[in-house]
Amino acid sequence: MTRALDALLRLADRVSLWATWGGGALMLAAAFVVGVDVLLRKFFLFSLGGADELSGYAFAISTAWALSFTLLRRAHVRVDALYGHLPQRMRAALDIAALLALALFASMLAWHASAMWATSWDFAARATTPLQTPLWIPQGLWSLGLILFVLVTLALLLRTVVALAGGDLAAVRALAGARTIEEDAADEAAIAAEVRTTPESLRG
Amino acid sequence: MLAVAFLLLILLLALALPVAAALGVLGLLLEQLYSRMPLSLAMGEIAWSSSKDFLLVSIPMFILLGEILLRAGVAERMYDAMIKWLSWIPGGLMHSNIGACAIFAATSGSSVATAATVGTVALPLVKRHGYNERLFLGTLAAGGTLGILIPPSINMIIYAVLTDTSIPKLYLAGIFPGLALAALFMLTVAVLCILRPGWGGRKLPADWGQRIASLIHLLPPLFIFLIVVGSIYAGFATPTEAAALGVVASLGLAWGFGRLSLAMLREVVENAMRTTAMVMLIIVGAYFLNFVMSAIGLTAALTTFIAGLGLSKLEMLLAVIVFYVILGCFMETLSMMITTIPIVAPVMFQLGFDPVWFGIVIVILIEAALITPPVGLNLFVVQSLRKGGSLNDVIVGSLPFVLAMFVMLAVLVAFPGIALWLPAQFS
Repeated sequence: MTRALDALLRLADRVSLWATWGGGALMLAAAFVVGVDVLLRKFFLFSLGGADELSGYAFAISTAWALSFTLLRRAHVRVDALYGHLPQRMRAALDIAALLALALFASMLAWHASAMWATSWDFAARATTPLQTPLWIPQGLWSLGLILFVLVTLALLLRTVVALAGGDLAAVRALAGARTIEEDAADEAAIAAEVRTTPESLRG
Repeated sequence: MLAVAFLLLILLLALALPVAAALGVLGLLLEQLYSRMPLSLAMGEIAWSSSKDFLLVSIPMFILLGEILLRAGVAERMYDAMIKWLSWIPGGLMHSNIGACAIFAATSGSSVATAATVGTVALPLVKRHGYNERLFLGTLAAGGTLGILIPPSINMIIYAVLTDTSIPKLYLAGIFPGLALAALFMLTVAVLCILRPGWGGRKLPADWGQRIASLIHLLPPLFIFLIVVGSIYAGFATPTEAAALGVVASLGLAWGFGRLSLAMLREVVENAMRTTAMVMLIIVGAYFLNFVMSAIGLTAALTTFIAGLGLSKLEMLLAVIVFYVILGCFMETLSMMITTIPIVAPVMFQLGFDPVWFGIVIVILIEAALITPPVGLNLFVVQSLRKGGSLNDVIVGSLPFVLAMFVMLAVLVAFPGIALWLPAQFS
C-alpha cells in the first residue's frame, strides 16, 4: 500500500513539475508577447491586438497548473503561531486537517470551474473581445490544472493518513508539515549565496 | 453573525489550515449558516474572472523579474559603487547597505529579495572591517524592507487590486516616503555611531575619480527602473505591460552578464510559479469569502458596527495600526494583506482617509511586520545569510529601525503631502 502510494506521489511530483515548467514557459512567453506589443504600439503605432486578453488566459492556466507543485513543496502558507508549539502527534492531526480543508476547497473550485467550462462548450461561448476567443479552450486548460490539484491533494491526503495510521510521524511531517519560517528564509538565503560574486575591490 | 464569523476565522487560521483553504472553507460555512441562496454557484465565475485579470498578471511578472534580477549579478557592482559614495559618513558601510537597498528596491518589488541580495554581498565585510555586528545586520534587514515602499512593489499592486486604487498613483506616492525612510535609517545609524564611535568600523576611502567611475554600475538598476516605473509615466505602458517589459529587459541583462542558462531559467520559473500559485489561491479564497460576506450582509454589519463605536478618525487609524502590528506577529505579510485589506480598507475610506495615502501607511506597517519577531521574514533571511550567531542579534539590531518606521508613520499622519504631493502633480 505504502509503496504503491509512494510511486503514485512520485508520478504526481513529475507531472506537477512539468506542469509548472510549462506554465512558467507560458508566462515568459506572455511577457515577450506583451512586451513586443507595447514596443510595436509605441514605435510603430501598431498593435498585435489581444495581448492583454491572451496573457490573462496564460496567467489563469499557468497558476492553476502550478497549484499542485506548490502543494508538494508545502508552500501553501499556513499560520503556525499555535501549530509551532504543539506536540508532534497533534501537528500531524492538523496536517491532515489542512489537507482535508484544501481538498474540500479545491474540489469545489474544480467542480464549479468544470461546470463553467461545460456551459461554455454547450453554448459555444466566445469572449466579448475582438479576438472572440472560444472560452472553452482557456477555461478547459484552467479546469484541468484545478483537477490535477484536486487529484494530487487527495493522493497526498491518502499517503499522509496511511503514514499517521502506521505511526510514522516523521513521514507526515516531511509530506505535509507546515514549513517553518526558518526553512523559508534558508531557501532565500541559499539562492542569494549561490549567485553571489564579490566585486573585485572588496576581495582580499 | 459578526462574532461567529470572526471566531470561525480565528479558529480556522489557528488550526494552521492553509490560509487559502481557511478563507474558502469559511465562505462555505457562512453560506451554510446564513444564506438561503446557493452562493457557491458563483465560485467558478469569481475564480475565473480574478484568475485571468490582466492587472493581476503583473504579480507573476514582478515575481519573475525579482527572481531573474537576483540571479543576474546586478547587485555586487552596484554595492561597490555605494561603498565609494556613502561610506565616509559616520557608520561607514552601514550607509552603503541602506543606499544599496534603496537602489535595488527601485528595481525589485519584494523586500525579502532586496534584503537577501544586498545582504549576501555585504555580510562578509562585517568582521573584516570591525563593525558592530548587530547594527550592521539591522541595516540589512530594515534596508531590505524598502523593497516594497520604493516602486515597483508587489504589495502595492495587491493593495491596488483589492481596493481599486490606481497603481501609478501608489507608485508615485511611495517614492518620497521611501527616500525619507532611507534617509531616516541613515540618520539613525549616523546618530548611533556618533554616540558610540566604536560601532562604526573602518571606512573605505574613495576619491572623486573612483566615485564618478563607479557610477556606471548604477546604470543596470537605473535601466530596469526606467522600464518598469518610468514607462508608466511616459504614458506608453500600463503597470502590467511595464512589468512584462521588465522581465524581458532583465533577461537581457542576465544574458549580458553571462548568467542566463536553462538551469537558471528553470529555477526562476519554479520559484516564481510557486509564489504566484500560493498568492493566487489565497486571492481566489478571499474573493469568494468577500462575495459571501457581502451577500449575507456581513460586510454591511461590520461597517455599521465600526461606525457605532464612534471612534474619531485618528482613533480609528491608531486602532488599525495596532491591529496590523499585532497581526503582523502571526501572519505572513502577503496573506495578511489579502485577508484583511478588503475588509479594513473600505471602512477607512468611508471615514475619509485617502486610498493612496492609506496604501502607503499599510505598506510601512507591512515593512515593520517584516522586521519584528516572531515571524518577521527579513530577520530570518538575514540570519540565514550569516554563518552562525543568534537570531537575537538581528532582532536587536533592527529595533532602532522599527522606531524609525513609526516616526515615519507619525510624519505621514502629520504631513500627508509627503505621499500625496507627487501623485497630485501628475494628475
